[in-house]
Amino acid sequence: MNLMAEILIQVIIAFLAGSLLLGLHRKVMARVQKRPGPPIVQHLIHSLKFFFKETAIPKTVSKVFYIGIVFILALVWIVGVIAGPVAHDSLLILFGVYAVYKIVEHNSGSSSGSPYGKLSCVRAVLSAATELPLFAAIVFVYLVTGTMNIGQIITYQSVHGPLIFSIPLAALMFFMLIITKSPYSPFAITKDKALISGFETEHFGFLRGFMLFSESVAWYVMLWVFLTIFFGPLNAVGYLIGMIVITFITGFINATTPILSPNHSVMAQITIGAICFFGTILMIFTGVVA
Amino acid sequence: MDSQKSICILLLVLSTIAILACLVIDFQAWIVYTVAIFGIPLWILSLGLLTMAKPKPEDVEERVKEPFTGY
Repeated sequence: MNLMAEILIQVIIAFLAGSLLLGLHRKVMARVQKRPGPPIVQHLIHSLKFFFKETAIPKTVSKVFYIGIVFILALVWIVGVIAGPVAHDSLLILFGVYAVYKIVEHNSGSSSGSPYGKLSCVRAVLSAATELPLFAAIVFVYLVTGTMNIGQIITYQSVHGPLIFSIPLAALMFFMLIITKSPYSPFAITKDKALISGFETEHFGFLRGFMLFSESVAWYVMLWVFLTIFFGPLNAVGYLIGMIVITFITGFINATTPILSPNHSVMAQITIGAICFFGTILMIFTGVVA
Repeated sequence: MDSQKSICILLLVLSTIAILACLVIDFQAWIVYTVAIFGIPLWILSLGLLTMAKPKPEDVEERVKEPFTGY
């Protein structure tokens, strides 16, 4: 297949699947909280609807930065689609994508001129604590498989079995990142309701729709990477079931867990990360991991 | 026609041509990746800036001056 056609198809799949999964996430949260909740397609409809909503650029913003950061958010997650589902390239590229995503959160808030956005921007620096467990998880995948290449990791798992069984604590660290990025997460300190919509507060109308597009793609890519590097070679049905199950689990966790204060959020992430890190090292040295 | 609209139309046309060219012609992978990484977000951005509704002239000042507090 033509490479551009493959990229376009994967981006459309990522957007549609990501939107529906985020819609499902809201539905699960609502049901757990004994509310009917919005329809599953609501997130998708929202994303498209905002493209036609009235949009004005507030006086307080840095205009080029304000629009450019939304463009960069989409750009980094399209890099994620290319490095992941399309090219099966290096995990380090995806780590870089996530690092830039944190920079986008930071700069989106600072470009807005809104006090809510700026406070969220400061919290984005704190929430970068999630990158440590993510990096540790990637290092453990490398130590076990001997490669950073997603294609070769898939091949390794087809021979030795899924990595979830050999380094479960590294998978838990990665899963914590997924919880962190899920909507209404206990670790979502940048989007705490005390900050209205956090770094997105001043991005409304079409720009919010564009951000929702990127967030849908981001959710799909993160779930895809998690399933691919820990659950081995999967077919389309396997990915679908895996993504739905993870969305259910995160929805349940987020519905039943209050958002933590910034210092507790960072400490909880680092503590869980440290336990998993030393636990995995212990497993490697005691020979549990082959 | 204001400058923002002209730039958006130009960027939309350029990104559409670049994406279509990569669909029709088999360029080297790095060229296709570059076009996809910059072209797809640019296409959505320029399309969105054209499709978004603008505030009425009498409401513009109010919209850009008042701090917005989310949707």
